[in-house]
Amino acid sequence: MTQADPAAFNANPIETLSLLLVITSVAAVEMRRLRLSVAAYVCQALLIVALLAAFAAVNPALYWWAGTALVTKAVLTPWFLFRAMRGAADRELKPVMGLGASVIVACLLMLGFFRLTHGQAPLLGLTGMAEHEVFRTNLAVASTVFALGLYAVLTRRDAIKAVIGLCLLENGVHLSLVSLAPELPETAMFGVATEVVVTVFLLLYVIGGVRREFGTTDTFQLRELRQ
Amino acid sequence: MATEISMIPAITFLLPLAAGAPVLLWKGMDRRAQQGLPIVVAALVTGMGVWMAIKAAGGVTLTAWNDELRVDALSALLVLVIGLVALLASVYSVRYLRLEGLVERVGKEAATRRTRIFYALLLWFFGTMLWGSVTNNVIMLYVAIEATTLTSGLLVAFYWDRRALEAGYKYLMLLTIGITFALFGCVLIYAAAAATRQLSGGNALLISEVRTVVRFMPGGTAALAIAFLVIGFGTKAGIAPFHPWLPDAHAEAPTPISVLLSGVMIKMALYALARTVSIFYPSWPQVAVFLVALGAFTMLLGILMALPQNDLKRLLAYSSVSQMGYVLAGVGLGTYLGCYGGLFHLVNHAIYKSLLFLCVGAVIHSTGARRISELGGLRHRMPITSGCFLLGALAIAGFPPLNGFWSKLTIYLALAKAGLWWAAIVAIAVSILTMFVMVRAGFRVFWGEARAPAVSEAAAREAPPVMWMPMAVLGALCLLLGVYPQAAFPLLDRAAVVVATLGR
Repeated sequence: MTQADPAAFNANPIETLSLLLVITSVAAVEMRRLRLSVAAYVCQALLIVALLAAFAAVNPALYWWAGTALVTKAVLTPWFLFRAMRGAADRELKPVMGLGASVIVACLLMLGFFRLTHGQAPLLGLTGMAEHEVFRTNLAVASTVFALGLYAVLTRRDAIKAVIGLCLLENGVHLSLVSLAPELPETAMFGVATEVVVTVFLLLYVIGGVRREFGTTDTFQLRELRQ
Repeated sequence: MATEISMIPAITFLLPLAAGAPVLLWKGMDRRAQQGLPIVVAALVTGMGVWMAIKAAGGVTLTAWNDELRVDALSALLVLVIGLVALLASVYSVRYLRLEGLVERVGKEAATRRTRIFYALLLWFFGTMLWGSVTNNVIMLYVAIEATTLTSGLLVAFYWDRRALEAGYKYLMLLTIGITFALFGCVLIYAAAAATRQLSGGNALLISEVRTVVRFMPGGTAALAIAFLVIGFGTKAGIAPFHPWLPDAHAEAPTPISVLLSGVMIKMALYALARTVSIFYPSWPQVAVFLVALGAFTMLLGILMALPQNDLKRLLAYSSVSQMGYVLAGVGLGTYLGCYGGLFHLVNHAIYKSLLFLCVGAVIHSTGARRISELGGLRHRMPITSGCFLLGALAIAGFPPLNGFWSKLTIYLALAKAGLWWAAIVAIAVSILTMFVMVRAGFRVFWGEARAPAVSEAAAREAPPVMWMPMAVLGALCLLLGVYPQAAFPLLDRAAVVVATLGR
């Protein structure tokens, strides 16, 4: 493995990109209009592709990752999402927790993960690479995006919004692989990335059925099985 | 331990995957061919499973693709169980999955399209489960297990009504989130193994290689990986408190799919958990108590939830949660006796839970009802089904001399031997409750008075032979392994050694 030379990075753009990732996550979670929410998600996907390409400067294997991410996250996933929303109301059903709560949650998560990745080096500094500042930042941001995705899945009533949350969650995982497993073989990366797209496709297919049968995508209405 | 290079492990999972493609793409395929293909494929897989089991019992480990695939006794056991249950479920589905009802609801074209997709996904579901059982690559293990979710998601929602859709949505959503934690865990294993710098290149991905370097891993990383793996694979295995998807999915899926979900899919996930977490045992034996406690909690919660159920399939699903607790308590103990009992219970539960689901499916098939309160007095009309259900109910309750008795007894003894008396007491208490729940349900449905007039007067008849024959096979296995439990010893002994990393 070619050891990453910290000087090879221009750390500033990477930090800026990382910060933007968190902002797009909050936007994707908070936008009440679903199409805008998907647009925020696409922005995030493109940022991830850019970030992966930036890291690929020292680790060429990541070019594969960047290419796969471009196709699966920035093209296929949004296409499925827009297709699923065709003919449905654009406005999201009222969520359990609102904007103020989300912003507070996002800030707390970010602070917590930054402390964790920068304070608990023995726990997370697995590879020599992850010791460097940029990789720790990347891990903190990845964890924040993951947790925000989980937050969205748990607190949004609209099934489409829950799927967007799931996409965010997966983005967080994939982003963390840059720090944790930069040398993952292409087959494994391909398998991991493809499955997310297939999951989104199947979920949206089932949600299409839910909308026909229940007349809504409100997950709170899914209570046939509660006895 | 000798190793042998063989293509059979690759063929076992590639065959069902390849067979699924023509079923999906060839629209003109005869319906009989669609139904026959899964049967033939599952029979071949069972044959290969028997061959692997014989090899493994003789101490031979099969490998393929540069150690990417690796079949030891534990994998062979899984392949054999998956093959057998898949075979019986496919035979059963021939008559169970009737086209008529579906045609009425969605029209002929949609119905034929949907059955075509059903059989294709069924084959892929077999294939992905088998892939997970034979792979030695820790990331591919995650990929295979997530693939079992994806291939079975539409099978769960097959009926496409309100209940099925709700179950399907929850199934896909909760399992995908849960399994993502397992990805984190798998990646941490890989990253920590690579960081030890003891393994070259891609070898850090191979579970059999990672085992050898675990002692060099930092403690914090191991703890984090174990926590993620337990959440991830535990969700899929129906371990409480990650089980809420299970009763919905197992109850709303068509019965042959319920059989596969409860009979083998959750076992496959527990296999993945045992396979990955057991490598940490020699360095961190404290994990054992945590897993046993989780197992005890699961068995207790599962049976308490089963107690008030009126819906037969939901009752069986909650009982599956409870039984997975036994398997986890046994395998999680990490001693030879515990692992032997846990794996024996895994096999036994696959047999009798499949049997019970098939019996309930037969009841639904002939009466159209599945609530205990609507059923009663079916003993005369369905003698074979009622006999099989009674056999399965006694086996799951651990009644001697049936197979469940031996595996539960082994788990009690292992827990007591390890000094975990509280867990042994919980396990015995849950077993008594299981007896009560299952025998009560069986008694009401098959013996008691028929409650709703519609059921008693309906032409409730015994299920056709293709449906009762799989039940008879499973019932015979319950008896065979009960009267002669040594039959499973050669394979279980070797399999238990693989996960019993805490020693004999």
